Amino acid sequence: MQILIQQLVNSLSVASVTILIGIGITLIFGLAGIVNFAHGEFLMIGGMATWFLVTSGWNFFAALAAAMVLVGVLGFVVERGLFRFTLDRPMNGFIMSIGLSVILQHVVIRVFNEVQKTIPDPVGGVWVIGGVDVIAMRAVVVGLTAVVVAVTYFGISRSRYGMALRASIADPDTAALMGIPVRRYVTGVFVYGSVLAGLGGALMIALFPITPFTGSVVIIRGFAVSLIGGLGNVGGAVLGGLILGLVDGLSAEYGFPEWTDAYSLVVMIVILIVRPQGLLGGTLGPRAT
Amino acid sequence: MQTIKRSGGGEHWGPSRAEVVAAVIIVGLLLGFPLLHPGYRFLSLAITTGFTAIALYGLAFQFGQAGIMSVGHAGLMGIGAYTAGILAVKCGIGFWPALPCSALAAALVAGLIGLPSLRVSGQHYIIITFCFCALLAIALTNGGGLTGGASGLDVGPIGPAFGLNFNKLLNAYYLVVAALLTCLLANHLLVNSPYGRTLRAIRENERLSRAIGINTNLHKIGALMVSGLFAGVAGILQAYYLRHISPGLYGPFPSLYLALMVMLGGSRLLYGPLTGAVIVSFLPELLQLNPIDSRIAYGVGLLLVILLLPGGVSAGLLGVYRWAMSKTQPSNPRGRRGHA
Repeated sequence: MQILIQQLVNSLSVASVTILIGIGITLIFGLAGIVNFAHGEFLMIGGMATWFLVTSGWNFFAALAAAMVLVGVLGFVVERGLFRFTLDRPMNGFIMSIGLSVILQHVVIRVFNEVQKTIPDPVGGVWVIGGVDVIAMRAVVVGLTAVVVAVTYFGISRSRYGMALRASIADPDTAALMGIPVRRYVTGVFVYGSVLAGLGGALMIALFPITPFTGSVVIIRGFAVSLIGGLGNVGGAVLGGLILGLVDGLSAEYGFPEWTDAYSLVVMIVILIVRPQGLLGGTLGPRAT
Repeated sequence: MQTIKRSGGGEHWGPSRAEVVAAVIIVGLLLGFPLLHPGYRFLSLAITTGFTAIALYGLAFQFGQAGIMSVGHAGLMGIGAYTAGILAVKCGIGFWPALPCSALAAALVAGLIGLPSLRVSGQHYIIITFCFCALLAIALTNGGGLTGGASGLDVGPIGPAFGLNFNKLLNAYYLVVAALLTCLLANHLLVNSPYGRTLRAIRENERLSRAIGINTNLHKIGALMVSGLFAGVAGILQAYYLRHISPGLYGPFPSLYLALMVMLGGSRLLYGPLTGAVIVSFLPELLQLNPIDSRIAYGVGLLLVILLLPGGVSAGLLGVYRWAMSKTQPSNPRGRRGHA
């Protein structure tokens, strides 16, 4: 039982990073209608930027903020420079984002190298609660993720900006007639998702080593999370992240560890076939193919 | 291709003069390439280009005609390659008997993976293909003795046929060229057949096609199986050319590169996939880029093509050709019609 609870606690911090990237993808895919395969690379760049700043003497949390800003700017440039032109042909945007992920990955390899990067634990200490070890940094990660989830959830479902955003997805033409700057909202969502990827990367490198290839591993989990929960559905992304984190954590302990990566893929395929709109329901993503 | 016919000016059925000339040039280039004394490096590059192009034709067929994109195509090549590998290692069956087995196995798997495409479409299906491909790579790695695990399988040389010894690189090149030409011809015939027209109807408006009595489900799976057949042939050629296969060759990332090559070359024109394969294989070598720079250049090229030439490089070349023709023959205003 102790081991089970320990596994659950450990899974939670892994799930947090997955949830962060999942929320970014669910918003960008489900609400902005852009399938950004380079989102994992955004996360990796956030992690690399954090590593670079921390090793050159910055405080971790300052580096984290800088990484978020950097990836946000990257997202802005990419949206305005590339995806803006493929909004009416999402398939082209998708292919372009694959090209973009190839570029970003290899630019990072060029600038740094392929070796994995780690930083020392920014927050030391282990708390023992009821016989279960809780590593302080992991608790910080879970806490930050919870804040982001709450802000995003209420921002989208309660604030007038969230309402305008949802209106411009449901019916862009009518929304535009009502005075909502639809395109600016698309950019806004894209940048917000990118900032979350930057945060996810910074938090990830605080927990695990990162290589330039991390993005391509993370991206598929991000898609899994957002599609399992339902596109554009923040609560769904949280549910999806928890399911994946749990499946991974438990399979590492009780299942066949060499098949760990396979479980999330199977869960995703099954859900996509059985319930294409996701467990909690969401948009179906871009309409045209 | 139907537009080339139109621009050729003839109303008659069958290939136009421009098409015949293009075909003769392509066949001539493919057969004559070794006469340029390309050396070992370029000849092996040409062989790689050849079997990659065969797989690309399958992918271009399903995407260009039926409108179903996949980023799991290397997985189907893997099915072909591993079928051949397992037959060779476990049963001692050589290249020639294994060829149809590989092609059929890949086609069957393509049909199975295609079943979800009847329910979900667009990006959702693409993500499913990506997952299947990732799953396949994991399964091959964990396959134990059957698939040789992470280190893969070794296959023997291609057995001689028609008195030719395929251990010689030149003869292996001609084998791949023969397969490529067969595949080009098959592609051309399929695209211009009533079947190709049916697929394009489904691509343009699936509900309407169903309403007028086309069995869209059957035809979509059919298109995917044809595509898988091509991938299987490409896979077995690759296995016997490399003599060694491992799961890394058939994971999601090689698949992504195949999808990118199709988009780069253009999926709806007959020579599009070949163009894509040639550009991606030869350009880095000619520019002497290191692997990292060539990947970056590849990505940048892809972005430029998608933004500036959405039909791919081949459509761009065709546009230039039509523009030149319209300059020389101002009386042919239909010559500048868009691509298919």
